[in-house]
Amino acid sequence: MSKKFQLSRRTLLRGAGALMALPVLEQMVPQAAHAAPGAAPRRLAVFYTPNGIHMPKWTPSATGASWELTPTLQPLAPVKSDVLVLSGLANYPGLPDGDGHHAAATAAFLSCAKAFKTEGTDFRVGISMDQVIAKHLASKKATRFPSLELGNDAGRGIGNCDSGYACPYANNIAWAGPTTPVAKETRPKAVFDRLFAGFDPNATQAQVEKRRAYGKSIIDFVRDDASALKTQLGTSDLRKLDEYFTGVRDLEKQVEAIEAEGPSCNPGSAPDDNEDPRVKTKAMMDLIVLAFQCDLTRVATFMLANARSNKVYGFLGLPGGHHTYSHHQKVQANYDALATIDRWEVEQYAYLLQRMKGIQEGNGKSLLDNSMVYFSSEVADGNSHEHRNLPVLLAGSGGGALLPGRHVRYNGEPLANLYISLMQAMGVTGITTFGDNGTGPLGRLAG
Amino acid sequence: MKPRLRRGRSWRMLAGAGCALLLAGCDGDNLPRARVLPGDMPGPDIPPPPPPGTQQPMDECKDVPKDPGSVTLHRLNRAEYDATVRDLLGDTTRPARDFPTDDHGYGFDNNADVLSMSPLLMEKYSTAAEKLVEAAWKKGLFNTCALDGADPKPCARDLLSRFARRAWRRPVTKDEVDRLVDFVALAQRHGDPAEAGVKLALRSVLVSPHFLFRVEKDPDPKSATPHRLDDFELATRLSYFLWSSMPDEALLSAAEAGRLSDPRELEAQVRRMLADPKANALVENFAGQWLYTRALDTAEPDRTLYGTFNEDLRKAMRQETELVFREFITGNHKLRELVDAPFTYVNDALATHYGLPLPGSSTPRRVDLSRHPERAGIFGHGSLLTVTSNPDRTSPVQRGVWVLEQLLCMPPPPPPPDVENLPPPLTPDMTMRERMALHRSSPACQGCHRMMDPLGLALENYDPIGRWRLQEVSGAPVDATGELPDGNILDGSEAMRRFVKSDPKLPACFTEHLLTYALGRGMSKADECAVKEMAATAEASGGRLSDYILSIVLSDHFTQRRGETEAWQP
Repeated sequence: MSKKFQLSRRTLLRGAGALMALPVLEQMVPQAAHAAPGAAPRRLAVFYTPNGIHMPKWTPSATGASWELTPTLQPLAPVKSDVLVLSGLANYPGLPDGDGHHAAATAAFLSCAKAFKTEGTDFRVGISMDQVIAKHLASKKATRFPSLELGNDAGRGIGNCDSGYACPYANNIAWAGPTTPVAKETRPKAVFDRLFAGFDPNATQAQVEKRRAYGKSIIDFVRDDASALKTQLGTSDLRKLDEYFTGVRDLEKQVEAIEAEGPSCNPGSAPDDNEDPRVKTKAMMDLIVLAFQCDLTRVATFMLANARSNKVYGFLGLPGGHHTYSHHQKVQANYDALATIDRWEVEQYAYLLQRMKGIQEGNGKSLLDNSMVYFSSEVADGNSHEHRNLPVLLAGSGGGALLPGRHVRYNGEPLANLYISLMQAMGVTGITTFGDNGTGPLGRLAG
Repeated sequence: MKPRLRRGRSWRMLAGAGCALLLAGCDGDNLPRARVLPGDMPGPDIPPPPPPGTQQPMDECKDVPKDPGSVTLHRLNRAEYDATVRDLLGDTTRPARDFPTDDHGYGFDNNADVLSMSPLLMEKYSTAAEKLVEAAWKKGLFNTCALDGADPKPCARDLLSRFARRAWRRPVTKDEVDRLVDFVALAQRHGDPAEAGVKLALRSVLVSPHFLFRVEKDPDPKSATPHRLDDFELATRLSYFLWSSMPDEALLSAAEAGRLSDPRELEAQVRRMLADPKANALVENFAGQWLYTRALDTAEPDRTLYGTFNEDLRKAMRQETELVFREFITGNHKLRELVDAPFTYVNDALATHYGLPLPGSSTPRRVDLSRHPERAGIFGHGSLLTVTSNPDRTSPVQRGVWVLEQLLCMPPPPPPPDVENLPPPLTPDMTMRERMALHRSSPACQGCHRMMDPLGLALENYDPIGRWRLQEVSGAPVDATGELPDGNILDGSEAMRRFVKSDPKLPACFTEHLLTYALGRGMSKADECAVKEMAATAEASGGRLSDYILSIVLSDHFTQRRGETEAWQP
């Protein structure tokens, strides 16, 4: 089933006036970009892929602007000048206690904090950098959604997730706080509905205000319920109740932000649900582009699969599971299988970049120019669970924060320092340390 | 450390130490022998385990103080939410499909500690509540009284107090009802009819923490002294255990009358509830995770090698395990017979797959297996055999680990880095056994694999999609023998069934899994004695699944709770 959405009256008026001069666009120009020409918002997207990368076919030999596309990076050819390849970064907080490399490193993927080893009761890691940015933007009431968390895979729902590490570590990269994973959505249609449904283009201002008042009254009611419970609950219960309060606060912000005019761009049709990873990944990429373009959010994370995924990529002619191949044991056939999967992953990322590059914003730049799109995996080599020399790509100019089109080689600098740079570029001022080992911004990103 | 039950005789410590030493470069031939491996002979200082069915709580448990533990405030998971709105509002649209997936902990997705409440989920709850109320209103579910335009409050009060009592699974206070009825005035102030206010109140009930969480109060949250749950809390625990859903009117009335503190009443309720179709939730949500049948949805056997596997077969396999388990819940079979039950449920497609006589039906039929012992019990189920295989080959390791973890509660330590996989065949016709022997010849692997491999190797006559076979893909004949650490040989799947069935650890292990699910919390060392006692009680009552369920429901662990002593800092 798909829905068509109407443009709001104000958008149509605006479109008729200002936009006709621009080249024919698939979608309308976002409101924010239009409101302040020359100062389009910056966005951050994160693309996570599990089980590491076969690095010999990934790493370019030359550094600087003369880097060459390696077999795995070949799909980036159309956007090569928009991409920074960063070699030699390390994320040591991802090292587990004993075994459990995938879950521990995935928990540290955006938090750069060491996950406490537990199967449940008392899991704890650290706030992730995307959520630091989301909180910052939320405090400025920048967009309707502080961030968007997407992924292809729900959990398998059986057994251990990874050697004594709780499943939230393996299934989430976004953490709103040390004990609060931010659940991801795995159905494109549900994401679309969340972004665009529930908006009535014919509502009057009075109706909108009433809806807002009713929403707030429900929130007040349940908040009182939760407050009354506080005195009668134990300590772990209070932790859960605290999560509830956080949810209620966020809901309240959204209710307050109910607008008369709705989305300021044409979202087109809702994607159908489809479990084919090729179809689903593209749908998720399109949703990120749409959400950015409509300025519904400026931060998005995406998990191509969960940590330690053993997905079978049959359409690539590979009968075995991804995780099984990643324990390659230096067998050539496994290397080849991994390189094939890696390249497909880079293709998906390249698709996202090309879509973003094709969208012109109000400041004359492309959406990609105004964004930073980060790609990496929780480990480098999946066989030895290497936490050094991670496979890192960063695309876009971040509105001038980055100088892409280069390969920069580092020497074991903490990944956390890259995140400090990204957070600063996204406007989080005053941040100079991050995670367990971030000491300051990473050099050489802007040239 | 993994806070899992540690056995009195420390199997895991020995095993772990063995692996660690090997990694440190020790000679694999001088392994410290783990003495309580399956089939191992006990050492001179350790008395032999009691024969099956006569296991008694160990003496060391005699003076251990009983501690029911503390269960964290439990958010409804997706299955529970859907079942609850089905029973509360007759809504079968499964709105929780739009919610983010619940994480699981200790093997189950109803683990209260990992059931987080994210802002996204809160948003989904709010959206779902609005839709649910509108749909129920349209269906006339709240037409129990007329909302009089001039004086709507009496009807609103009646309707809302009855709804909140069911939704919150307890009596509601006058103050709570007053606050709900206030929505009527709010709507009227905005120029809307009373109906709009009642709908707002109904939505509030569904977003309230009293609906979304299973609230169990502690009179003194900082005290570790156990206290009994009140009857409503107990009714709720029971209905979410057996039905994954809210208590029905009969259970709620029993709680209201204070009858649930009577063990005979509790037992009668359990028997009544197990006979209800809603007890299928135990099959889907407990057995689906304990027996791994849920993983069947995402299993992807290599179609080039195993092209007969298709969606119909996937469904039939799942139904087989569900129907067998369902019969165990209500029937007269002992827990141990899950391992070798001489019956199953197949349709024509699955019977063909298994090489059984066709039942002549596309829907599953119960068939007798007394002449097909190779299909007896869960080890003959295509579901289990498929999900414990790799896409392109069997995995005796995964099958062995499944038995150790899910049936004997002896999870082996995880493999060290760099050596997770079988080495590739050196020659094209190399057998699985030869490849595994090669794998075991690596010192880093040997210590752990001698525990896992024999159980899995004995199932080698089942291919990766559960078909009986005498040859491997390479053409090599299947050799389904496994050598136990004590030197004894398990010759094929029937010997393996007998061996697992007689293992004295089976009752306590099953109890541990079932109790983990029943309480929604992981087990710790402190629970060990209670688990053993519940298992012994269940075995003494006949050893059926219903005996285990009753043993748990009537235990202090299930009927009591306590506060926590440590403080939580946000």
